[in-house]
Amino acid sequence: MPALAATDSERINEMQRQIDGLRNEIHQVTEMAHRSGHGAGLPLHGFMDIGFSLNTQGDPVANPPGFYLGSLSLYLSPDFGDNVKSLVEPHFEATSQGATSTDIERLQIGYTFSDAATVWGGRFHTPYGYWNTAFHHGAQMQASVFRPRFLDFEDEGGVLPAHTVGLWGTGKFRTDSGRFTYDVFIGNGHTITGAANLGNPASQTLGILDPNNSGDRDHSAIAGLNAGYEFSGNMSGLRLAIHGLSGNIDTETPTKFYETGLNVTGGSAVYVTNDWEVMSEYYRFADKDKTDATGTHNSWAGYMQVGVIYNDLTPYVRLEKAMLNQKDIYFSSQENGQSYSRQALGLRYNLNPNTAMKLELLNSRFLPDAARTALAYRSLHVQYSIGF
Amino acid sequence: MNSTLSRFWFCLALTLLSCPSATAGDVVVISNSEITVSPDEVADIYTGEKQFSGSTQLIPVDNAALQEGFLSAFMQMDTVKYNRLWTRKLFRDGLARPSMKSGDVAVSAYVRRTPGAIGYVSTIPPGVKVIQIISVQ
Repeated sequence: MPALAATDSERINEMQRQIDGLRNEIHQVTEMAHRSGHGAGLPLHGFMDIGFSLNTQGDPVANPPGFYLGSLSLYLSPDFGDNVKSLVEPHFEATSQGATSTDIERLQIGYTFSDAATVWGGRFHTPYGYWNTAFHHGAQMQASVFRPRFLDFEDEGGVLPAHTVGLWGTGKFRTDSGRFTYDVFIGNGHTITGAANLGNPASQTLGILDPNNSGDRDHSAIAGLNAGYEFSGNMSGLRLAIHGLSGNIDTETPTKFYETGLNVTGGSAVYVTNDWEVMSEYYRFADKDKTDATGTHNSWAGYMQVGVIYNDLTPYVRLEKAMLNQKDIYFSSQENGQSYSRQALGLRYNLNPNTAMKLELLNSRFLPDAARTALAYRSLHVQYSIGF
Repeated sequence: MNSTLSRFWFCLALTLLSCPSATAGDVVVISNSEITVSPDEVADIYTGEKQFSGSTQLIPVDNAALQEGFLSAFMQMDTVKYNRLWTRKLFRDGLARPSMKSGDVAVSAYVRRTPGAIGYVSTIPPGVKVIQIISVQ
């Protein structure tokens, strides 16, 4: 009997070992299935909008009235289930000439070290102010039909380098009364392309900013920071921040090459709660002419938008203004570099959580300068936008 | 013998009293036993503001049966605002929204076996850490 007992004991121990082994294998298989589940399949999300416009400008080529296609912005964000992140945003839109343009607006691969540090590489939205990294290309996300004009994307009216190809570090630190946030970035310096015969109003062609996706061909980097504080408690929803960016921007023409030292400083104040959406940003330019040594030229731009949220209705008003010095080749060589002021009055209505109908009235006034003519018009815009 | 029995009942009573317990209408926030999360970090985790506990990545999961009460009690928001917040998080930061589990059993099993997982249930399951119990009535 004792011998049998010993055998039973050994058998029981052996079975226990096998059960432990099986249990361990099941745990590992479950974990693997869980991990692989993160990468299995890739949900497709995006934003899309269409619209209708009327205006008093009377120039059917430059500002055509009627129905229009807005944009289709897709975003892919594979979940690797660990510290690696990526984000791709292909974007399709109809140009004012009626053609369809395709762009990879964002292509980012990142690594999160902790809550305080994520590093992204690739093409990203330059982290200045608030709007550029809050709403991206998703019209459905923002209350208004349009972005403030000077903050628009490079090919849609903006005068700032909205996209950067390079490295971006971002993070947040928790404090007792809120969160300190930061963004630092460095990337390829932008080039203003497509300009010709500058200074000759009769024959000049103006250019737009190009973020140099395929390499910094003129070896002129751009760098910047955005540091802010997000309040919590009684002041929850308030965010105050300062930003700055600096770098060399080259303007290429067939006959001459211009170099400008772009220096931008400014700040933003944002108050977003369940009932209010108040946003303001200010940008001051002190750009140095590095080609003809005409000195440093100062300009500024800013906006303030106030929206009140009543359930699904958000009426809003926005004032924006840009005083852009035309002695600064950075502005005078850009198609969108004309000084202007604009007032917007609008109403957004959420048909459901993913669909918004918007109505916006704009009063725009563009100031004359040596190479551009004055222009004033009013316009009405209706936009139907979805997110999915 | 009587002394031993008395000691046993005393210890049992002490253990039960020192354990957190949930009653009907409560939402119990739980985490995997390998991480430590404080109650005031729960809202940050469910808004994607806090992603790590030490070097462990946090994986919040939602409970379909309790989501409304949880969002109201812990986050002071409804499901529409919560979904909108995560759409923005996904679009801005490339963060995945918390996966939705069907109920207490699925949440408890997932949290128990997944390092970094955090969830909420209506009764305290074994093998997990209790972060906070809050009444949603």
